[in-house]
Amino acid sequence: MKTCQIICGPIALDTSAVLTRWLLGAVFIYMGLNKALHPVDFLKLLRQYDLTQSYLLLNSMAAALPWFEVFCGLLFLAGIAVRGTALTLVFLLVPFTGLVLHRALLLQSALAISFCAVKFDCGCGTGEEFICRKLAENFLLILLTSWLLAGHGRQLSLRFNSIKSSG
Amino acid sequence: MKDDPTQSGVPDRLHAFSKIFLETVLVAAVGAAFAFAANQISPLGLALTRDYFPSGMMHSVRPVASDELPDVAGTNFRTLFPAQLLAAQMKEKGLQLMDVPRLLQLFHDPRFKKDAIVFIDARDEEHYQQGHIPGAYEFDPYRPEKYFDTVLPVCQKSEQIVVYCSGGDCDDSESAAVLLRDVGIPNQKLFVYSGGITEWATNGLPVETGARNSGNLRKRNQ
Repeated sequence: MKTCQIICGPIALDTSAVLTRWLLGAVFIYMGLNKALHPVDFLKLLRQYDLTQSYLLLNSMAAALPWFEVFCGLLFLAGIAVRGTALTLVFLLVPFTGLVLHRALLLQSALAISFCAVKFDCGCGTGEEFICRKLAENFLLILLTSWLLAGHGRQLSLRFNSIKSSG
Repeated sequence: MKDDPTQSGVPDRLHAFSKIFLETVLVAAVGAAFAFAANQISPLGLALTRDYFPSGMMHSVRPVASDELPDVAGTNFRTLFPAQLLAAQMKEKGLQLMDVPRLLQLFHDPRFKKDAIVFIDARDEEHYQQGHIPGAYEFDPYRPEKYFDTVLPVCQKSEQIVVYCSGGDCDDSESAAVLLRDVGIPNQKLFVYSGGITEWATNGLPVETGARNSGNLRKRNQ
């Protein structure tokens, strides 16, 4: 029984980390493809954030972001450069969640409704959603991605660290 | 276990962090290259150098009582909803607006059948197929090259052109009108029906499904 406590705990942790990595990979591929297959819709949604006046920059973001998500999803699934991928995604998710929150506050003010009643398509690849649910989802994604960033999910990975240690 | 920062000293931890950071840069660089290549290869990909919003880049939802609202004579922007605000902005850009009664007059005008009056549906193909004003031409302003051959000659010959999209805060009709103006269609011929297909259908007016002049008509709530 004691032996199981010593062995089963780490095994359960490893298994959940690998499952999390695969789940995140699948989620990012799904959300990325949803946008990549409707690039004009994504472009219009991105425009609503008033990020830039330059159409070249806006087009570049709308063209690249969906496929970039797919790329990161594939890396997670395969287990390649997992921590680098996780940090990249955290760098993307945190500011984007801030933008979604900002837009939700604008909508709330314009429509004079309660915050959680605000519903819009944030361009996340999941269609129209209530803001509180969307923020909870993004928070969970950031949390799970950060967990992988901490070094979990090494099992069944092709090359967990893409840069070899020099020492 | 060697690269696990929790098991090592401070120098090793710094080394591990720098490795992760380097890996992040690598992922970002390769990912960006992959993303732009995929967009280039994809038949649905965006053209990076095209201005998809000739009517203007900014499209934010602003509080109704904002002081930033444009100053158009006779318009009290402080009492407007986003859709009305959009209509006022179109007016400001010199685009003429059309309401349902006038649109209906044009729809029943004999010149409509002869293409002297033309309706342009500025939504994508999927939405057009699902339902459009009977006889309206399809013209997606985000893929204009696909429609110019059909739509331009008709617009050049016509006396009046009415462009519409979904209504509400949709400004694709505005983009389409500006695009047509930019390729030489005189501004005085161009009108924007800001109520769009939503208002049209809500009024119980006929909606045609499938191709133009398919004859498949339906009314809302049927």
